[in-house]
Amino acid sequence: MDFFLQQCINGLTLGGFYALIALGYTMVFGVIQLINFAHGEFFAAGGYMGVILLSFCASMGFLETHPLLCLGGSMLLAMGYCAMLAMAVEKIAYMPLRRASRLSMLLSALGMSIFLQNGLMLTQGVYSKSYPTVFTNKVLHLGNVSISYMQIMTLALTAGLLVGLNALVFRTRIGTAMRATAQDKVMSALVGINANRVISMTFAIGAGLAAAAGIMVGMYYGTVRYDMGFVPGIKAFAAAVLGGIGNITGAMLGGLIIGLVEIFAAAYISGEYKDVFAFIILIAMLYFRPTGIMGENVDDTRV
Amino acid sequence: MQRIITKALVLSALCVLLISGTAVAKTLKIGTLSPITGPYAADGNDIKNGAVIAAEIFQQKGLLKGFDKIEVVSEDSACDPRQAVAAANKLLSQGVAFVDGAYCSSATIPSSEVLNEGPIPMITPASTNPDVTLRGLKYMWRMCGIDAHQSKSAVEFMAKVLKAKTVFIIDDKTTYSQHLAEYVAEAAKAAGIQVLAHDHVNEGDMDFSAVLTKIKQANPDVFYMSLQNSAAGIPFIKQLRQAGVKAQVLSQDAVYHPQFIEKAHDAAQGVYFTFGFIDDTTEMYKTFLKAYTAKVGGQPGGYAFYSFDAAWTMLTAVSKAGSTDPEKIRAEMMKMDMPGVTKRIKFDQNGDSGSNYIIQVVKGDKFVNYYDPSTGKFY
Repeated sequence: MDFFLQQCINGLTLGGFYALIALGYTMVFGVIQLINFAHGEFFAAGGYMGVILLSFCASMGFLETHPLLCLGGSMLLAMGYCAMLAMAVEKIAYMPLRRASRLSMLLSALGMSIFLQNGLMLTQGVYSKSYPTVFTNKVLHLGNVSISYMQIMTLALTAGLLVGLNALVFRTRIGTAMRATAQDKVMSALVGINANRVISMTFAIGAGLAAAAGIMVGMYYGTVRYDMGFVPGIKAFAAAVLGGIGNITGAMLGGLIIGLVEIFAAAYISGEYKDVFAFIILIAMLYFRPTGIMGENVDDTRV
Repeated sequence: MQRIITKALVLSALCVLLISGTAVAKTLKIGTLSPITGPYAADGNDIKNGAVIAAEIFQQKGLLKGFDKIEVVSEDSACDPRQAVAAANKLLSQGVAFVDGAYCSSATIPSSEVLNEGPIPMITPASTNPDVTLRGLKYMWRMCGIDAHQSKSAVEFMAKVLKAKTVFIIDDKTTYSQHLAEYVAEAAKAAGIQVLAHDHVNEGDMDFSAVLTKIKQANPDVFYMSLQNSAAGIPFIKQLRQAGVKAQVLSQDAVYHPQFIEKAHDAAQGVYFTFGFIDDTTEMYKTFLKAYTAKVGGQPGGYAFYSFDAAWTMLTAVSKAGSTDPEKIRAEMMKMDMPGVTKRIKFDQNGDSGSNYIIQVVKGDKFVNYYDPSTGKFY
């Protein structure tokens, strides 16, 4: 039982990361029907911004005195940076192709992904970078189940970001505009919504969330590497499809499911099969329910 | 028109001069094959640098016979069988005299087939899988040890020094790591150590929490970490300490790298490694280290030493043979018996140079010699 609970916590932490990344895929797809394959690179860029900023804090000695301030500041800056990066990518690689066929945009996205990953490799080097220890490895013991503070913090932050995003999309003006654009671009333009601005915002928000995930992954696992965006990017994409692409709640659910399935496959079958099971779930879902878990009410809630 | 023709004539004359100028100076082209990009680039660059420095010192000492200078051609194997084969073909077409490489056994094995068909002699500084030399290839040599010996040393250390009753084994499913893990599992069983589990992770994984929870629950005396590279070892050991696994950790030569200590400093303390014994008091060692610090800077990884020896040995063979004829190089290689940086260089008929694995431990900022399984003595 303890083993099971411990693996649940592991799975939720991993799933939370996938959910944060998956949101970017799903939101962009909702608005311009593009699978943004460069999205995983925003996650990697966020991880790198985090390590640069936190190392800077550590070298100034702030990290020991004000850990939360450093972390919060780094996270906001990294999210802002990635948001701007995503907006730039959208302007350069996707906007000129908005009227072209979908395939052109998809290829442009793949190219952008390769470009960004190699850019990261050339500027930051091929070696992995170590995160400075923000919090000591304190562990909370509940019976035989142990949760590290790091895990609690990542879980709490992930939950906070997810709730925040929900509020943003369903309660604010920009959220309403996003949903309107997703439903009907022409009609929303007729009622005075600036589609370009909405699309830009969607990219920015998605990349910001991915950047937050990047920092948390870096802190949680200890290192970042230039190619770290690829595999989680693919898994998060799978999560988005699993939840019903275009649907925000679906992406969150999909992320958690993929995370949990992966951990349980590793825990109860074998570590080598964890990716296999993550994708078996996806294939099975697509076979029996091609729209994904939340695919039905796609018109009401998608962004 | 006249002018253009004159110009063209003058230009072509210049070109001929340039070409003949380079042709007069006889250049010996040698190749390196290692992962220069990608996650294994740390070791790959060590291999490249080792060969470059060997070529430099070899020339400086005036040991080069029959050629005027050495040119090192470095190709990227990316630790990928397909790319390694493409890179080997590229080296083949460039007409290198021999190839020093590759790093991952999974890349060395297919690329050696291509090179042996060339034929171009190949010497690996780092691939420890037995199949690298046991396929009967005529022009294949190995500077490092073999996994069959490495696993034996590892298990001896577990049984005699760590007094282990149980072991938990992990590998990341590469040709190298999986076979080594299997040898360790076999040897452990034979030595009366119970193998609690032999689990796998995937190459390039970031999250090891599920497997770590399993290890924690199994509570083994020793945890054997068989991974392809320090790039995987760093996050693994960090997460292992965070998960509170109490077992002693034993790892192997591929994870052995200064990066491992640098990037996982606190978590790395007390981790044991099997690695070939390198005598750091010899003249050759000091010469190499000095040249390395001057040229590259910092502390070389273990395979820089082996790559230096590999290139040095081949250069000696080429110089003695006075030609790049593979047959003559082979004859010289088989006669070879000389001191190197890592060991006394001498090959058996398979092209192996023997293993001399010892146990090292991470202490502070460096690896420290700890135990020699062949003599049963501590350092």
